[in-house]
Amino acid sequence: MNFTRRQFSAGLAAGVAMPALIKAARADGATVKIGMVVPITGPGAESGKYAQTGAKIAVERINKAGGILGKPLELVIEDDQTTNPGAVLAFSKLASQPDIVAFLGSIRSTQVHAMAPDLAKVGKPMMFGGTDPALTHMGAQWLFRCRPNDSFSGRVIAAYGSETLQKKKWALVHSTDAFGTGGAKALTAALGDAGCTVALDQGYPNQSQDFSSIVLAIKQSGAEILGSYFTFETDLAIFARQLRQLGVTIPWVGSPSIIDATAVKLAGPALYGTFGVADYAEASSEASTEFGKAYRAASGNVPPDNFSAWTYDALGILTTAINAAGSTDPAKIREAIIAIKGYKGAEGEYNYDQNGDGLRGYNIVRNEKGTIVFDKHVEFKS
Amino acid sequence: MDIILQLLFQGIGIGSVYALVAMGFVLIFRATNVVNFAQGEFSMVAAYMMVVCAVDLGLPYWLSFLIALAGMVVIGALFNVCVYYPLRHRTYLPVIISTIGASIFLANTTLALYGPQPQVLSGWFDTPGIQIGPVYLDSQYLLIIGVTILLVAFQYWFFEKTLIGKKLQATSQDKEMASLLGIPVAAMIMLTFIYSALLGGVAGILVAPILFVSIQMGSTIALKAFAATIIGGFGDVAGAIIGGLALGIIETFGAAYISVPYKDGFAFLVLVLFLIFRPQGIFGERVAEKA
Amino acid sequence: MRSSTFSTLLQGVYFVVIGVIVVLLAKASFDSYVLNILMQAATYAIAVFGLSIVLGLCGQINLAQAAFFGIGAYAVALGTTDWGLPFWLCLIMGMVLAFVAGGAMGMSTLRLGGHYLAMVTISFQQIMTLVMVNAIDFSHGPDGVGNIARPSLFSTSQSYLAMSVAVLGLVGWIVWRLKTTKLGRAMRAVRDNELAAGVAGIDVFRTKMTAFAICALLGGLGGGLFAGGFAYVSPDQFSFAESVVFLTMTLLGGVASPIGSVIGTGLLILIPEWLRFLKSIPGLYLAIYGVAVILIVLFMPDGIWGFITKLFARKSPAPPVAEALTLSPGGSPDANDAVLEVSGLAKHFGGLKAVDGVHISVRRGSVHALIGPNGSGKTTTLNVLSGLYRATGGRVMLDGVDVTSLPPYRRTMVGLGRTFQNIRLFRSMSALENVIIGTERPGNTAVGRGHAAVEARALAALDFVGLAPRANELVTSFSYGHQRLIEIARALAGNPTLLLLDEPAAGLNSTEKRGLHDLLERIAAFGLTILIIDHDMTLVSEAADHITVLNFGRRIADGDPQSVLRDPQVVTAYLGADD
Repeated sequence: MNFTRRQFSAGLAAGVAMPALIKAARADGATVKIGMVVPITGPGAESGKYAQTGAKIAVERINKAGGILGKPLELVIEDDQTTNPGAVLAFSKLASQPDIVAFLGSIRSTQVHAMAPDLAKVGKPMMFGGTDPALTHMGAQWLFRCRPNDSFSGRVIAAYGSETLQKKKWALVHSTDAFGTGGAKALTAALGDAGCTVALDQGYPNQSQDFSSIVLAIKQSGAEILGSYFTFETDLAIFARQLRQLGVTIPWVGSPSIIDATAVKLAGPALYGTFGVADYAEASSEASTEFGKAYRAASGNVPPDNFSAWTYDALGILTTAINAAGSTDPAKIREAIIAIKGYKGAEGEYNYDQNGDGLRGYNIVRNEKGTIVFDKHVEFKS
Repeated sequence: MDIILQLLFQGIGIGSVYALVAMGFVLIFRATNVVNFAQGEFSMVAAYMMVVCAVDLGLPYWLSFLIALAGMVVIGALFNVCVYYPLRHRTYLPVIISTIGASIFLANTTLALYGPQPQVLSGWFDTPGIQIGPVYLDSQYLLIIGVTILLVAFQYWFFEKTLIGKKLQATSQDKEMASLLGIPVAAMIMLTFIYSALLGGVAGILVAPILFVSIQMGSTIALKAFAATIIGGFGDVAGAIIGGLALGIIETFGAAYISVPYKDGFAFLVLVLFLIFRPQGIFGERVAEKA
Repeated sequence: MRSSTFSTLLQGVYFVVIGVIVVLLAKASFDSYVLNILMQAATYAIAVFGLSIVLGLCGQINLAQAAFFGIGAYAVALGTTDWGLPFWLCLIMGMVLAFVAGGAMGMSTLRLGGHYLAMVTISFQQIMTLVMVNAIDFSHGPDGVGNIARPSLFSTSQSYLAMSVAVLGLVGWIVWRLKTTKLGRAMRAVRDNELAAGVAGIDVFRTKMTAFAICALLGGLGGGLFAGGFAYVSPDQFSFAESVVFLTMTLLGGVASPIGSVIGTGLLILIPEWLRFLKSIPGLYLAIYGVAVILIVLFMPDGIWGFITKLFARKSPAPPVAEALTLSPGGSPDANDAVLEVSGLAKHFGGLKAVDGVHISVRRGSVHALIGPNGSGKTTTLNVLSGLYRATGGRVMLDGVDVTSLPPYRRTMVGLGRTFQNIRLFRSMSALENVIIGTERPGNTAVGRGHAAVEARALAALDFVGLAPRANELVTSFSYGHQRLIEIARALAGNPTLLLLDEPAAGLNSTEKRGLHDLLERIAAFGLTILIIDHDMTLVSEAADHITVLNFGRRIADGDPQSVLRDPQVVTAYLGADD
């Protein structure tokens, strides 16, 4: 009996001590470490894979070019399980490793919100891909965005629909999550400025199995054009298919998820002829094309999208900034990031401001029978 | 009017999906008195097997279908042996937890084996649907409705007209009595699990072309099917069908005329009302404990 | 008493250990990852304590604990940010809200149990999630709420954690002690046998409601602390999946013990963290986690803590010497008044008239037998008398009170005690605890104040039936005959005015029957009125002063034993008519 008890407590002690042991083993200074919070499990696992591929391409390129401050760059990856508490835990796990100099946060705005209080305590820069405008306007000095924020996507969708396509009566469909409501709000505001009317503004909960009631409402509303903010690819694909089945053929300009590789594959012909705003478009610039080539080579000819492009850019920007600062001191890195002007990344040309926003433009792309074709780039001054 | 007809069709379509999964719930519940929280994962796993066979390996659709069903037989049997049977003499709580463990296991093993990408599975028919007047009928939904009707008929015939069906019924009503009558109770329970895994599998394969094949597809449908089961009453397969259809219709019309974001809530609201005012379900089942 | 000094010692050790842990947490330095894990574990464990009450003590299922956790969390989150209220006020507000919601949910147990109750709780959970996600103006929607304030005294993460663990320790102590309080025993009685609990004088419905309300209250407390700890909340933290996690934590550790709850919570938070090294294959570590859950359920039926305590099980200590039992039924046996006056009693099941217009008058201080062939309506009559069935017609007066439409526990309060034909003891408890529940009958005037007096009387009752030396053993370890005696002791301990015995001789051997006969005589000697149902004619004719005979739901004879047993109608009923 006594033996069993001792064994049990020994096991318990080993379990408690384990994280500490692992930490000790990692503490060597041969590399510069950047932590990455990414969904490996949960509904976002799919996009997480793209994000990792983009980051790995960047790591290879950076290390081939001499690394950071002469040392190779090393990524430390933690799974956020596609949940907010998961992101907080994953981040705190990274934050507890003192040799990590900066972080890649999440492409999901809610997760960035969740990590923000802890990030403020740690006081190191975090690059992120969430597009909620508030993230860079709430006084968080360590957050730097590597995609254009939603105030721009809304303006671009509105401008393209009302000016290029000449449609004034809109129907909006958006997810009720942070991304969807934030986007729809920005789009509604931009449509008001452009003198358009919103005939229908319809939110839906994520992971819906049926959209027929929304489609019929669009049909009834008499809208001439559809604007959308979808979060998950399966929702988008089910909606697209029902939209076409029930005979709605009005033009459709969607948020970046509409040209996401998975969505295009799932929905098939239902998305032919739609327009999307894309922060990443392969043909939009030289840097974009170059990344596209590298990505296709690394992933077995899967077309790249924004999930991979932003992590690729984030590591590039961090490397540039740290090398320019000549130090991994967080305050100096921050200075160097804000000083970045005219950085040519896969997503576009980065010009950082004091808030931490680097991009102010979107590409308009078209789904041409399953291939995404670059249409034009729309850039704003502020 | 056109819109109402269209909504009705959509509601019946999605309701049939719930009904199919709900039938699996009811069968296991009647035989073992436990709710199988992994019922949705049966559907998901079957859909993935279908994708592997029909899409990745390029086998004919019917052959893939048979292979997937054979796979479900194995999974149903293993599920019984590993998850339910060792716990058969315990209360329903450990069994519930055990099935929850199984559902986590099935979902994440599939994720580990196949990766996170949602997959496309084409439907049985080449034509996506037909237009009758103002109403568009999706061919896959038509198929689902048809299969549901067939399965109800089959179920009736099987349980009421065949000896093995009667034995199954006897087992589900009173295990002790059944074993006194010489019915091999263990085998009957095994059969029930296999059959309900098959039902879940058929449901998964049928809905895959509509909802796509993803790790989450099972759990989202299963929760609704569970609600349908309660509305219909746990004791009766016909109740599950009615409950499923009612839920689909309530949801679709609720979304169209009340609120889309809260549409998942209608199901549960109806459910609570049912539980409070008619806990025995539509078709009735005794709830009170025997004195 | 020895066991109580041991228990006091144990409690002292407990508080010292908790104190040391709290001080260590406040002084030692952790990195933020360990801090977050501990914070999550501590706050979750408080909610799991709540579940261990509803599930472990009261045996009811609750799949909405995450919703109550969320209520507490959102009260603190919205309160400290949007409404500018102080932290402690928000915490209390959240607990009150959760308490009320939990009580309301408990009310649904009036009609529902098992899977149906599970479904109500799931529905509540889903609706809460939908509101958190969609009531954006109020809840900030899926964005969640950030920058949640902590009380100024505990503004650092470490001091806040120490405070949370101190709360955890205090709540843990309360939950631990609850088990042996009157309320805790009532909950366990409800879990073990609802019918018997009601008949023993426990308000089953209110007990369940209380269990739910306390469970929700602790959920709210845990959630409120969680919100302050992480400074950020969002709806997906309080989803159905989390409720399932809470439930698994409770069962994994062992449902009826706070230590088990802490173990379960800790493991379920740590296992996925330990398995993170498997992350290169997505899904693998959660798959292993799923298998682990199944294995633990399969091989540790009482949870991990139950498994450990079984390894170190102590022999139950012998009870102290018992005092003599006193029964004070009140009234004088010669007064010739009726304790029980049943008039025109009817109970119909659909078209079947199981009992039809029966009159019974039981004189104070008498031993009255109710007999009849199988299917004559005896047991139905008894069930109507004790309130398990609602009478279709007629009136039941007990000790001058009209009890016709009262629920079982209210009749027990008036002075009814009963035993069951198929023994209904509380199977997870010791013989003594079973009898203590009887002693705690509301309206029992024969017991002094305080737990010591209750325990002494319960022991005296056990001694009266000859089982005092084995008082601390589990009832399941007793023979059938002894279990019957414990049931009688449970009823006697409550000092009833009227004792109903439902076929007490059924299943007893001849020695046991003789013992039972002696026991009945000793009970009757106190002047306690007994209404007995039995088949055993020897027992009935020897023990009873008065016999009422039923057949086909009607009274066919009534009077003293000699004349009734010679009544030709009775003979025909028992032996069948000679055709």
